[in-house]
Amino acid sequence: MDKAGFLKQRNRLDFASLREWGILIVFVLIVGILMLLSPSSFARPTNLINIVKQASINGILATGMTFVIISGGIDLSVGSIVALSGVIAASFAHPGEYPLIVPIVLSTLVGGVAGFLNGIGVAYGNIPPFIVTLGSMTMIRGMALIVARGSPVFNVTKAFENIAGGFLFDTIPYLVIYFVVTAAIGAFVLTRTVFGRRVYSVGGNEMAAKVSGIQVDRIKVAVYSISGFLAGVAGLLLASRIVSGNPTSGVSYELDAIAAVVIGGISLSGGSGKWYGAVIGALLIAVIGNGLDILNVSAHFQLLIKGAIIITAVLLDVKSKGNRT
Amino acid sequence: MSEYILEMEHISKSFSRVKVLDDVSLKVRAGEVHAIVGENGAGKSTLMKILTGVYSPDGGEIRLHGKKVEIHNPRMALAHGIAMIYQELNPVLDQDVAENIFLGRELIRYHFGPLSIVDKQAQHQHTQELFARMGVDIPSKALMRQLSVAQKQLVEIVKAISLSCSVVVMDEPTSALTEKEVATLFEQIEKLRSQGVAIIYISHRLEEVFKIADTITVLRDGRLIGTDSVSNFDHDKLIRMMVGRNIEEFYPKQNVPIGEVVLEVRNLSLGKRFRNISFQLHAGEILGIAGLVGAGRSELAECIFGLSRPTTGEVYIRGKRVDFHHPQDSVRHRVAMITEDRKLTGLNLKASVEHNITLVALSRLSRLGIIDSDKEAQVTDTYIKELSIRTFSRKTLVANLSGGNQQKVVLAKWLLTEPDIIIMDEPTRGIDVGAKRDIYLLMGSLAAAGKAILMVSSELPEIMGLADRVIVLAAGNMTGELARHEFSQEAIMRYASEFRQNG
Amino acid sequence: MKRYWMVVISALLVLALLAGCTPAGGTAKEAKYGLFMSHMTNAFTIELSDAVKSKAQELGVNLAVYDGGQDAAKQVSQVETAVNEGIAAIVIEPVSVDGIIPAIETAKKAKIPVVTVNQNISKPELVDCFVGVSHVEGGSVEMKAAMEMIGGKGKIAILLGPMGSDAQLGRSEGYKQVLASYPDVEVVFEQTANWKTDEALKLVENWLQTGTDLVAIVAQNDGMALGALKAVEDAKLGDKIKVFGLDATPDALAAVKEGRLAATVSQSTTEQGLKAMEAAVKLVKGEQVEKQIIVGHTLITKDNVDQFIK
Repeated sequence: MDKAGFLKQRNRLDFASLREWGILIVFVLIVGILMLLSPSSFARPTNLINIVKQASINGILATGMTFVIISGGIDLSVGSIVALSGVIAASFAHPGEYPLIVPIVLSTLVGGVAGFLNGIGVAYGNIPPFIVTLGSMTMIRGMALIVARGSPVFNVTKAFENIAGGFLFDTIPYLVIYFVVTAAIGAFVLTRTVFGRRVYSVGGNEMAAKVSGIQVDRIKVAVYSISGFLAGVAGLLLASRIVSGNPTSGVSYELDAIAAVVIGGISLSGGSGKWYGAVIGALLIAVIGNGLDILNVSAHFQLLIKGAIIITAVLLDVKSKGNRT
Repeated sequence: MSEYILEMEHISKSFSRVKVLDDVSLKVRAGEVHAIVGENGAGKSTLMKILTGVYSPDGGEIRLHGKKVEIHNPRMALAHGIAMIYQELNPVLDQDVAENIFLGRELIRYHFGPLSIVDKQAQHQHTQELFARMGVDIPSKALMRQLSVAQKQLVEIVKAISLSCSVVVMDEPTSALTEKEVATLFEQIEKLRSQGVAIIYISHRLEEVFKIADTITVLRDGRLIGTDSVSNFDHDKLIRMMVGRNIEEFYPKQNVPIGEVVLEVRNLSLGKRFRNISFQLHAGEILGIAGLVGAGRSELAECIFGLSRPTTGEVYIRGKRVDFHHPQDSVRHRVAMITEDRKLTGLNLKASVEHNITLVALSRLSRLGIIDSDKEAQVTDTYIKELSIRTFSRKTLVANLSGGNQQKVVLAKWLLTEPDIIIMDEPTRGIDVGAKRDIYLLMGSLAAAGKAILMVSSELPEIMGLADRVIVLAAGNMTGELARHEFSQEAIMRYASEFRQNG
Repeated sequence: MKRYWMVVISALLVLALLAGCTPAGGTAKEAKYGLFMSHMTNAFTIELSDAVKSKAQELGVNLAVYDGGQDAAKQVSQVETAVNEGIAAIVIEPVSVDGIIPAIETAKKAKIPVVTVNQNISKPELVDCFVGVSHVEGGSVEMKAAMEMIGGKGKIAILLGPMGSDAQLGRSEGYKQVLASYPDVEVVFEQTANWKTDEALKLVENWLQTGTDLVAIVAQNDGMALGALKAVEDAKLGDKIKVFGLDATPDALAAVKEGRLAATVSQSTTEQGLKAMEAAVKLVKGEQVEKQIIVGHTLITKDNVDQFIK
């Protein structure tokens, strides 16, 4: 190999790793600052568990979003799916009506079906993912309002509330466990399975993937189905957490999920990104929110800071890509 | 006034501590074609990037018309009358041809600062005049995206020529062109030369260099090996200087017994792309498909592989009718396809060497959908070694490899599927001499192992050097078939130019 | 925010399509009244429109209901169309205090009586009658109850509606007036949760992590109050921290009945609707109507909750 090329490659590796470390450094830095500012509250173990709990729902959505974005797409409909699945879950969770399994199965199934239809639109309808999921976002929000007749669905069983509200050994919230399990399965599928590898290849170069005998359309349907299913799970968990199904909940959740993915260094142009990106992204967003709440910073400043971090992350993303060509 | 229009003296360039150019000098006269040859990594491209201001040299100086100049960026180079046609083309794909020709120097109808209105009509008119003068037949309103690789390159060449520069650098200008287009290009080069323009010509095709160049400069490992008039070189001497050793035979044709028919194509047609193509391909055979750009060669290859559906006709593999809807079907029938454009359709540039190599055969390296990483690594390393792919490690991004090594990655990917039939569309386009020879050797041993190879190539010497048989396409029709003992450049070109034949 | 409205509007379009409905009523020649709602996507707006409808039925008049989908432009064109069709009177819950003024002016030119309900417009002189509540009063009713129940001292937290909204500003003003006479009460946290249950839940979870000894959390609506209540109960602080809401939504009422939510405040939504329709009919008949009808808030605690649960 020629020496110049070799050298360039070394630089690229350095930059790539710097970028990965970059977000970790930011993470550690922010945690450090918050610990200094609020040693008594922020750094307590119960608060650390609390942060992971608050990152959970966004983290689950971001895991699904990771698949979609690595495949080169985007899914704007997850926030609406959260609302629809939450409303459906709550509607079937009134005391003395159905066994607990019914709301669980129905809400996740609805999410999966919505995602599947998104995938069909993208893969076979040949419509850009942004448009397909923008349309379905609107339609699904409408369905949530129809199902709920415009107002929140409440009066759910204790068992239903316990799905997200319970604790393992009285210390670890179930939510945290769902998040960890989802992220672990997502990581395994992305890094160790044939399917995961194909998702990367479709996002990296769709034409080359097709020539290589990969059924690109099926991969696309699968990633949107995964994202929809996980949005269904998130909706179920949110409904259980707020003990009601609210048809207007989940607004802009898709943006939080995309933000988590982008902050985690997963490229919006597809084909690259690490499995832990979404986990770090979701945790970072939760840490910032938690820290600023504890410090009683106005919500308006919180938005400002959150936005600044997203732009910084994307800036790193763009820089690294400019370096590659 | 110096006798040289351009002098680059004692140029050195290091990246960190590695010397990429070591005291290289280049002197070019007005009105000469000065070829620079050397293997990839010899420093040709770096030298040209210094000339066009992409890099600044660590030492040495550049003189134009005897005057020392500093060139800090390509725009300055252009202002000094130095134009470069890059090997890797960067046209704006969604603009039309005329807009690309005038990119950055649009003809303005009304001047309103940043809101000036571009005179599209004038641009089209000028473009058509330029094309007419060059004998290029491309509509000025076509989008760049719609053009073939060769057509894009022609546009770039016309663009550089239209800038009326005193020094034009051409980096592998013909790698995507057909013989006819090359002839057109050479005519243009002649015209430029007679107008006193200096042309720096970088090419891997030594035949061309001997045909067109007045002077040859040989670089190796960043050092100047020699500069001399073309009459003082012969083919063997040049190769010896380039690689530092003898290459006994550039096209290592092995004699392999031809086996049974493995692929048969009967009356295959695809709309207006090609019509009624019939041929047979045997085990151990290398069948060349020759023809001009636009003759339908790539379309035919892609259609056989299942990337497009034929309108009529049949394909048989080992006597059985097959109907490929998707490349997945072809892979199952042990057919492999090395596509024309490795960056567009061959590789995932965002992935590592390993992930590219194992992509197609992944299901064979996994159980229950879970990849066996150890096996994957082992297989990858085997292929890296066997095809001598030069890469830092199997985890290196394939984008960071040279063209030749990238092409070997594509080959490795398909060899891993253990194919019986290998379709290769321009297998050595834009890669260096060493890698080319590696690929030729590989093709020979694949044929010896009983594989059937269908090779589309625009390089006649390559086809004539390697193929057992050639079929020639012209404007979508099969106009001729030649056995190895009948091969001659004239015969192939005669068939390739038979446009009006019915068939 | 714009996207949010888009979502809601589109959802409503879907709703309208699926229901296959044009506004109720029809094209009968008899005098027709129009109810123009800002939107129909929460319990409050649905209760309000139901009340107007029931009064119309009682009085035997024809009523068409229009859903503005939180879009001022849409509400304006709905009103203008109705005016062209010769509507008898307009009962309107405005999408925007300013944005719909052109429509009201059109109605005035056509000498059609206009009754605003729940929310007045910024040019009250154009309106024949306003039926509504005073947000200041609502806030003060809620905060007074809170002060009494915590004995007038301790640390409290406040959950606000979207900053700058009329309800947020009014209720905060009511809070301030009450708190002025309680020097021993310290407001340690005050933050918006945008009427949202999940946002309030997260926020209160984080506040509780600071270990502050809160005695009460006062929320400007019931949705946020229920989120706060969930956080408090999860932290097993239900007996230490009292949570207060406002709106008297069915789930808040249920929580009050169970003794979990300390109190909520009714905006007397049904009464607003009934009074507004009554005023409209009177205006059409040429009878005298007060320019402003303020309906009082009602405090709901465990003692009187049963009479509000339907």
